Order: sequence, then C-alpha cells, then structure tokens
Amino acid sequence: MMPSIDREERRKKRAPVIGFIVSGSLLVSVLLPASWQWLPIAVGTSAAIAVGVTIDPPVGRARRSGLRGRRRERGSGLGAPGRDDADGLAAVTAHRWHTLVMVSWLMPRQPGRRWLAEAESLLSEIPAFQRGAAIRSYLRSALQLVVMMWAREVRRRARPGPRRPG
Amino acid sequence: MAPRLTVQVQLILQALLRDPAKEMYGLELSEETGLQPGTAYPILLRLEHEGWVSSRWEDIDPRAEKRPARRYYRLTAGGAVQASAALSGARRPKGTALRRLAEGGGTA
Repeated sequence: MMPSIDREERRKKRAPVIGFIVSGSLLVSVLLPASWQWLPIAVGTSAAIAVGVTIDPPVGRARRSGLRGRRRERGSGLGAPGRDDADGLAAVTAHRWHTLVMVSWLMPRQPGRRWLAEAESLLSEIPAFQRGAAIRSYLRSALQLVVMMWAREVRRRARPGPRRPG
Repeated sequence: MAPRLTVQVQLILQALLRDPAKEMYGLELSEETGLQPGTAYPILLRLEHEGWVSSRWEDIDPRAEKRPARRYYRLTAGGAVQASAALSGARRPKGTALRRLAEGGGTA
C-alpha cells in the first residue's frame, strides 16, 4: 500500500495544478472561435474546483474515481499496491499520476482517454526510478496536447457529414 | 501538410524507418530515440494525424499478461516514402543535440 502524502503538502502541490488548469483553459478558449470559448472555461473551472476541494489522499481518490472506469479495472498502472514501495517514490509518483488523470479531463473525451491509457501502459513498464521523469514529461507536453486535441475536435465537429470517433 | 521536421521528429522517424514493417510501442520508441515518453507522444499523434503513422492497441488479456495493452505504431506505406524523402532533405541532427536529448529527454 502506498503511503499517503500529508494534507499540508498536498495543499501546496495543488496550487500550481490549479494555476496550470486555469491558464490552460484560458489559452485554449482564446484559440477557439467565439461560439466555443465557453467550453474550455467550463471544463477548466470544473477541473479547478475539483482539484481545489479535494482533500482525499491521491491514491484513494484515484481508486474511487476508477480512472474513467474501464482502464482502472485492469488492476494495472500506478494504482497497483506496492508497485514502488521499495524505493519510497510511491507517494510522489501517485500524486503526479493523480495530476495526470486530472489533466486528461481537460482533453476531449476520446483522445484524453487514449492519452491516459497510453501513459498508464507505458508507466507500468518503465523502471520505478524513471517514472517520475516520465510523468513530468507527460505533464510538460500536456498543454500543447490539450490545444492540439481541442483544435482537432472543433474541426471535426465543424465538418459536415457523419461523425467519426476522434 | 508535412509535419515540421524538428530534431525530435527526425529521431522518431529514423527509429520507425529502421524497419518500416515493424511495429514499435511507446517505451520502445522512447528508449530507441532517447526522448522522454511525454515528448514522443505529441509527435506520434501529429504524425498519425498527417497519415504518416498508424497505430493500434495490442490485443492481449491484460490480466493474463499482468500488464496493460501497449499502443503500437508503424509507418504507413505513404508515410514511409514521405518520411524517407523528408529526412533525406532535412539537416541531420548533430551529435551534441542527440547527446543532449538522450541525457535530458528533450521537449517537443
């Protein structure tokens, strides 16, 4: 079982996440046509509130949230008990993983799921000591991806004819 | 429209071109190129949007294999031709740039 991060520590770590979500939402909304600007703001606000009010340990929350259902059922990824307890990275990694899950909520549904599933797949195979850096790299490129995915999603929805899954 | 050939994009294309018929998954590509997985993902996604690369989920039973399914990438027939042409016209990444990427993981 992974150790939980203490409450104060989590509060401190939440601030940059909220900042990231808010700035990301604003940036995406600026890039979208006027009729779509409400969407990233609505999603960003919901995500920021969700992060702001959360008081549970990250691991517990990730388990209860079910990581959007299907993927978590596989019992894989970082939620697996005892995966990196030996090197003491579990709490930090779990917290970053939690951030990754929340960042995926800023993406359109299908591409966001795929991004998270792929991250989970890769992170479950990567050695524990490299996992923190890998998650950081996912988080660094997340804003670029959010913008890219929403731009594509908007183009897809604006296109006439039958809709295809993204 | 062809993707912008940054050093990172070239590294990914070179890795995929080594054996265009072979499928590679994220970690494999990451180890091959020295790029961090988070850096490689947007590049692969962009290449997929451009039709240069196709991808699929591995068809396994995760419980039996005790790991999640991998996402495999490979160059499409057209992508392989376009990638070869683009790489032959592109400036080759310098050794120092490659070393820096291998050490730091690089950014897209």
